Amino acid sequence: MTDRHDPLLKVDGLSLSYQTRLGEVQAVRNVSFELARGSALGLVGESGCGKTSIANCLMRLLPDNARLSAGRVLLDGQDILPLAEEDMRLLRWRRISMVFQAAMNVLDPVYRVGRQIIEAIETHGVESTDTAARERVARLFRMVGLDPQLMERYPHEFSGGMRQRAVIAMALSCDPDLMIADEPITALDVIVQDRILRELKAIQQQLDMSIIYISHDIAVVAEVTDVVGVMYAGRLVEMGDTSDVFRAPAHPYTAALMSSFPSVSGERRPLTGLPGEPPNLSDLPQGCPFHPRCAYATDVCRTQYPPQARYGSHWAVCWHPLDATMAVQS
Amino acid sequence: MTGYLVRRTGQMVLTLFLIITFTFFLVQAQPGDYASFYVLNPDLPPEVKDQIRAAFGLDKPAWQQYLIHLKNTFTGNLGVSFGNFPRPVLDVLVERVPRTLVLFLTATAVSFYIGFFLGKAMAWRRGGLFEYATTISGALLFTAFTPAFGLMMIWAFAFKLGWFPVGKFLDPLVWRGADVSANYVFGNMLLSAAAFIAFALLVMLCLKRFGRRVPSVAAFPIVLGGALIIVAAWALSGIGGLALDIVKHMVLPVATLTLISFAGTMLLTRNSMLETIREDYVMAARAKGLPDKLVRDRHAARNAMLPIVTSLVYSLIFAIDGSVIIESVFSWPGTGLTLLQAVRSEDLPLVMGAMLFIGMLSLLAHVIVDVLYVYLDPRIRYQ
Repeated sequence: MTDRHDPLLKVDGLSLSYQTRLGEVQAVRNVSFELARGSALGLVGESGCGKTSIANCLMRLLPDNARLSAGRVLLDGQDILPLAEEDMRLLRWRRISMVFQAAMNVLDPVYRVGRQIIEAIETHGVESTDTAARERVARLFRMVGLDPQLMERYPHEFSGGMRQRAVIAMALSCDPDLMIADEPITALDVIVQDRILRELKAIQQQLDMSIIYISHDIAVVAEVTDVVGVMYAGRLVEMGDTSDVFRAPAHPYTAALMSSFPSVSGERRPLTGLPGEPPNLSDLPQGCPFHPRCAYATDVCRTQYPPQARYGSHWAVCWHPLDATMAVQS
Repeated sequence: MTGYLVRRTGQMVLTLFLIITFTFFLVQAQPGDYASFYVLNPDLPPEVKDQIRAAFGLDKPAWQQYLIHLKNTFTGNLGVSFGNFPRPVLDVLVERVPRTLVLFLTATAVSFYIGFFLGKAMAWRRGGLFEYATTISGALLFTAFTPAFGLMMIWAFAFKLGWFPVGKFLDPLVWRGADVSANYVFGNMLLSAAAFIAFALLVMLCLKRFGRRVPSVAAFPIVLGGALIIVAAWALSGIGGLALDIVKHMVLPVATLTLISFAGTMLLTRNSMLETIREDYVMAARAKGLPDKLVRDRHAARNAMLPIVTSLVYSLIFAIDGSVIIESVFSWPGTGLTLLQAVRSEDLPLVMGAMLFIGMLSLLAHVIVDVLYVYLDPRIRYQ
């Protein structure tokens, strides 16, 4: 048996690349993190920083041109990367489920919504009879705030918010230990976004489930996660307790991300966008990949990759952390 | 739904009216009429020619003939075939239409099944020898010149190998002394086929309704059992040999039709599948841990089927139109061959009757596909 205090998920030195016509693109570089049972982790960063690649890697749903060059993904101490496809198939949804990025089209248009959830329950033998499976779906529907009678409807009869709730119910259907929520609310309107986010948080605490939130929206991650990892160009550049990271970001990129989103409750301040463009993954600059867009960049940033340093409860990879006085070399 | 059906029926009546009108004047535009075949016959005195014209009403002006024909058609009287005098047109068609239908429905069903099966396999495992081989051979067959290809099939399988008869509907040697007519045997064959299809559908429906957990493979032995019972009944009936003779004559034309048309469905399925494979619900199905085969069949292929069903109507209509060519090549006495002979001999009532049937079949195919579409795609509702 595994100990309650062992991490549920341990990602160790994960590296992933895609073979393209323009050459090899390193999407994920040496990423390591741990996720405790029942806690929520956030991964933030711009488009193309490798967030979704990590999610697909955890589900092992990678396109044919992807290549895992290094690393381990330990779920309860078991490395899932070398598993046979059939074993991995049985593990999907039962242990790790996913709320997809483009939730609008995740439901198959030709089947009733309830049927699609029962399909997952049947595949994994979570309930032994059809009646029990239907009751389970009804229970899940109530949990996510949908009328159980809606399970007899087709996806096109659902609104965007309802579909997203149904997709969340589907992700919860096999009692997974870990749920990956990839931009779970991006396509919804703001009021529904907030409500669904709060419900997700409540469900997570109620079921004692772990969640990985993947978002470009720092406000979402700040609201619902315990730990946050900031990604840039396929690497984690800063990671730590969510409140600490956002209270005192060490990496200039984290600070820049924060200042490009408005805060409702915080003080009034002008928004500053991030200058420049997201990095070209197949042709990264030397040294710290963020240096062309960084206001604090010096010569050392242009030539050498910075070391990882600990600042209170979080760590960052930067030559010139914003609050250098707090720096404690790890 | 009722409003939709009423509107739809109105459209169909209008279309039929247009088909009748155009066909009538098209045939009239041909030089001469039925009686002119006898003009060159020196044994016939001119009075007899006039008599023939008067008897068939060919002495009246075209517009009058047209109005009479229109009235008769809409009162259910298709007239008498000049060429098969005195058989009524309806009688000729009732004999010939089922033969064409059986030929083309079988070929369409087989080629759709093969095309869909190959197409989804091609899209699922892209690249490799299998995809190249099927694409190239499929495209070659699809673009083959039908009469030439039909003759090649006859040459290879009937003449050189001698596996199947060269053409026609039956072998007179086998039927000599038979105390039943070919139409009687063929009619019973049709009934058996219809009963079998109904039985198979019922079995599948029952399994789907009552046993979600029963794998669909379970239907196979039951359906096979039903087929065996029907075959056994025919073998014991004493006319089994005659039925077998008709079946033998069907094989080559059906095979030819299937070979030239399956590639259309196959390539369309492949393209349609390549679209649906990229859809999020296919990714989600895989993420849910469904076995690979279920992801492909239940989600990717099921959605890829929607545009293919539309193409099926057109291919069906095209096939019935093409019956003129295929039936001529194989001397198959169906609607197509009848139509060709009727047009060449200016057998106006028979041409009109055959065209009416072809038109009605096309319209019916459209309605069936529209209904099928509602069943296949829950997003579609007709008002």
